[in-house]
Amino acid sequence: MLGRLRTLLGVDHGGDRYGYVTDELIGPVAASRAPDRWVRTTCGYCSVGCGMLLGVRDGEATAVTGDPDHPVNRGRLCPKGLSEHHTLAAPGRLTHPTVDGRRASWGEALGRVADGYRRLVAAHGPEAFAVLSTGQLVTEEFYALGKLVRLGMGVRHYDGNTTLCMASAVSGYKLSFGSDGPPGAYDDFAEADVILLVGANIADNHPLLAPRVLDNPDAEVIVVDPRVTKTAMLATQHLAVRPRSDVTLLNGIIKLLLDEGLIDRDRVRRVAHGLDELVDHVEAFDLERVERECGVPAAEVRRAALSLGRARRALVAWTMGVNHSVQGTETVTLLNTLCVLTGNLGRPGAAPLSITGQCNAMGTREAGFTASMPGYRAYDDEAARAELAALWGVEPDRLPAERGRAYPDIVNGVIDGRIKGLWIIATNPVVSFPNRELLEDALGRLHLLVVQDGFETPTTALADVVLPAAIWGEKDGTFTNSERRVSRVRAAVAPPGEARSDFDIVLGLAERLGVRGELFPGWTGPADAFAEWRRVSAGRLCDYGGITYERIDAAGGVQWPCPAGDTTVPPAGTARLYGDWRFPTPDGKARLRCVEPKPISDRPRPPYPLLLNTGRTVEHWHTRTKTGRVEILDRLAPEGWVEVHPADAERHRIHSGDLVRLVSERGAVDRIRVRVTRTVREGEVFVPFHFDEQCANRLTLNEFDPISREPNYKQCAVRLERPEPGLSAGTIAARG
Amino acid sequence: MVAGGAVSEAAVWLRPAATAPTPELLPLDAGEQYRFTFAMDSCVGCHSCEVACAEQNGLPAGTAWRRVGEFEGGDHPHTRRFHLSMSCNHCLDPACLEGCPTNAYVKLDNGVVDHHADDCIGCQYCTWNCPYSVPVFQPDRRIVTKCDMCLPRLEEGLKPACVGACPTRALDVEPVSVAAWTADHSGADAPHLPPAELTLSTTRIALPGGELGETVAASDVHLHPEQPHWPLVMLTLLTQAALGVSLTAGTVAQRAAAAGIATVALAGSLLHLGRPIHAWKALRNLRRSWLSREAALLGAYAGLAVAAVGVPALAPATAAVGIAGVFASGRLYVVPGRPAWDTPLTIAAFFLTALALGPLLTGHPAVAAAALVAQAAVWLANLARLARDPRREARGTVTLHRHPFGGLTAGRWALVAAGAAVGFRWPAAGLALVTLGELVGRYLFYVTVVPLNMPGPHYRPGRRH
Repeated sequence: MLGRLRTLLGVDHGGDRYGYVTDELIGPVAASRAPDRWVRTTCGYCSVGCGMLLGVRDGEATAVTGDPDHPVNRGRLCPKGLSEHHTLAAPGRLTHPTVDGRRASWGEALGRVADGYRRLVAAHGPEAFAVLSTGQLVTEEFYALGKLVRLGMGVRHYDGNTTLCMASAVSGYKLSFGSDGPPGAYDDFAEADVILLVGANIADNHPLLAPRVLDNPDAEVIVVDPRVTKTAMLATQHLAVRPRSDVTLLNGIIKLLLDEGLIDRDRVRRVAHGLDELVDHVEAFDLERVERECGVPAAEVRRAALSLGRARRALVAWTMGVNHSVQGTETVTLLNTLCVLTGNLGRPGAAPLSITGQCNAMGTREAGFTASMPGYRAYDDEAARAELAALWGVEPDRLPAERGRAYPDIVNGVIDGRIKGLWIIATNPVVSFPNRELLEDALGRLHLLVVQDGFETPTTALADVVLPAAIWGEKDGTFTNSERRVSRVRAAVAPPGEARSDFDIVLGLAERLGVRGELFPGWTGPADAFAEWRRVSAGRLCDYGGITYERIDAAGGVQWPCPAGDTTVPPAGTARLYGDWRFPTPDGKARLRCVEPKPISDRPRPPYPLLLNTGRTVEHWHTRTKTGRVEILDRLAPEGWVEVHPADAERHRIHSGDLVRLVSERGAVDRIRVRVTRTVREGEVFVPFHFDEQCANRLTLNEFDPISREPNYKQCAVRLERPEPGLSAGTIAARG
Repeated sequence: MVAGGAVSEAAVWLRPAATAPTPELLPLDAGEQYRFTFAMDSCVGCHSCEVACAEQNGLPAGTAWRRVGEFEGGDHPHTRRFHLSMSCNHCLDPACLEGCPTNAYVKLDNGVVDHHADDCIGCQYCTWNCPYSVPVFQPDRRIVTKCDMCLPRLEEGLKPACVGACPTRALDVEPVSVAAWTADHSGADAPHLPPAELTLSTTRIALPGGELGETVAASDVHLHPEQPHWPLVMLTLLTQAALGVSLTAGTVAQRAAAAGIATVALAGSLLHLGRPIHAWKALRNLRRSWLSREAALLGAYAGLAVAAVGVPALAPATAAVGIAGVFASGRLYVVPGRPAWDTPLTIAAFFLTALALGPLLTGHPAVAAAALVAQAAVWLANLARLARDPRREARGTVTLHRHPFGGLTAGRWALVAAGAAVGFRWPAAGLALVTLGELVGRYLFYVTVVPLNMPGPHYRPGRRH
């Protein structure tokens, strides 16, 4: 009271709260942010995998700074990383388990999960329970979780939200090279003389890769994207293809390179199968067709193709513009094919590099037991099954013989009633899955919905059992980034309330189910999981055998493969795969696949005349579970918006700042802010998907890649409805 | 140590003393100061600088010392979008410093325009003067705060936090020759920025190559009323009414009324300040600040008005000081940063308010009516001036008078017209109507001004419209 009066009168101005002290690492800094020590860790947002130092004082995280010694980012960070310490004390953390909406003990909550699971399986068989996980856990947790789910629980249907983001890259790599595993490294950005970015807006979505493009001013940077993204603006050449015409474009480029004699066919035949079929297939893709279907002048396509064909070193990188498609997998194989044809593989500056999404999507790909068995072991590979079973000391028939349902098929299973129990870990499908209404309906039908997360989300709101989990900054382990670099993440502060690490939750549930002793003998922490994972991955492509926590610390991250005892591998691991052009296929050769473009199914037409594209923005991460709670990020981008070309805006008589309604055949977004911009093509609109309030996934299509099962988030038809009569803010400003 | 488990030694990062932060800044030569540089081509609009600034300075959410704006040109697929990251420009001729009534601003030898919190009374005059809207009122401290180029870092030879955080090295700090920059400061100009000429901004902006063509700023969508500043509405309106009374008073009662109104106005104006207890500091910059002069003159006027109640001989002096006070009061609004006010018409309007209200109270309805006709003419002249001005800030004021303030604008003039007419027959009713009309007018004066600013983002930070 007295303090408030003093402030109102202005006796003092709170200067004592705004002093500066000198930190020995970063120099003078606000006293409120100054830590008393720095904990070395890795960013928990995207897959770039930036090294950072998390400042801690009195048990609270106060600051973040880029790790000046980390090879990925050399001390630099994006705005999400720079404010990541705020996520740890953000509002909305889950602090205690709940059962049926009331507070419960861990014993009760885990008991309910174990009993519910047992009852469902007893009554309806093992098909009745499914698990949806994430790319957010540490590798040690993924490894433990996979063992529990597949061996301990015998769950057949287990997948992660990684299927919503990089499954097509996984499938594409498997089809081309026989195994998952991005062959390139970030240093390729510096080494390449041509950088081809396809459907990859790295300036917004992988911000610390954008400087690598700028740091190589001699490179020709070709960006393929329907929108003029921040990344497209960095390009020396931007091919603004029509949505989903990337397959036509790539076929056309391949034809041109063949016609121009820029491909050494003999060399290709030595390292790959399928060249002759491919040559025949691409015959139909002359430049006139490419121009017609892609909407890019033939001369520009030719210029880009010749740049690629003549490049000494070309880096071909892509993200969700490729993956988020019903043709995602096949498009990935075409990018791989392009690299095989042009010899851009296994050398510095030359690789097909899928830039993945989440901080540890790679970890779950390698160790997680979802799309493959741990260590990239195929479910149908008898030898691999036998090897894994022997490593674990179990009978091979304990291991599943097939993958089980992928994410969208788990949702379908819930809809058709075959799946009655679902355990969701660290993901928020209510906002992130396409066609939201269908999903909400499905979740409502479950007999048991268990959601394990760090924060309250629209998905935890629907759960029967909520398990509060520790988040990044509160637990130990490793993340693996897009260039296969394994880095350490560390607990700097304690989780709030009764929240536990996902590792401890897994072990706790294993205990309840009576399988802890068998699956996790003597395990007490993530280091035990890592030790076993090193043995299990040994000899595989993703060989962690030689990676120890100590080696990671010394090198600032180690790239697999890193076999134990192999002195030819540098301390920081193996920078690139396939230097010998021998692939993990039965005969060691790559596969060239012929891909026929598939038209958009939900084409613009009356009464849905506009084509919707979805994506991301630099200020936010996924469904804003964290970034929406970091005030400075939330203030920078407080709500979703729709980008509309001025010609369409005029047609609809709307202005920047107006609120409009977007409608598709599946749902509608009410009250979304218009941004009139020429970064989108006339006839196309763009909406960032992060926002629950303006949820783009009420509009998107539940269509999936037949191979990877990744959703087609990028193209669907919508209608834009004008606001109710009356002047909106945008209209007033425009009239002024 | 860390709760929940031991942490290995390697986990705790400690820079050995030998590699403590090394000086990054070039030392200044004679006649040089530091300034920001910004390479627009290198900026990808990541906002890291903004976050780094807020973290470096421990700023509360909503207080932004650095901002990133956007503007775009061309058409798909040849669209170009440009980002502009800007904090304080550490001008050679800083308008904030010129106008600050308490001398809270200091231009340091190294060029930093430094703001001393202890001297700030939260009057926010600098926020009107800066054409880039750089100084911001920080509500929890009730003072203005701003970028000091990370002065504590500069003093240790380190670059500011925003520079260190820029992933693409678009931002930097470098020495500049003051004399050379004074002669040619065109390097500080950029599309959608107020001209560097106004304050001699030192920020060197490297524009992208090629013809930029016509561009649109993302923030052009924003046209929002400014704060009404109610204590200032009352201060200006009441001091002007008092002056009008002083000028036409014939009786003790009328002189007492003038004294009373002037005193209430001054007391009420304290409510405008973030730190009213330090109000006296407003007298510190009589040499340069019209706000200091306003405070001194209106204070003297109120004192004289009180004395003149008993000593009629003081009335002429009272009126003279009052005229000077209202002139200073009007003059302080004539700032380039606020185009709607940046005209002698502002001063004229203040005097006409005095001549409308005072004479109605002292029984000269004809004088009041004539003043109100002139007031309408001045108002129209200003709107006409703004409508011709190509700047969006100027035209924005005209727009705001229609939407959302069309009703209030019409109401103001209806009240004024009715009051002027009624005043001939029923002076009290006339006075009430005209006072109400002028109150609405003064409210509109504050809320319809559109400040100059740097280009902003599509979203007003933090606003879900």
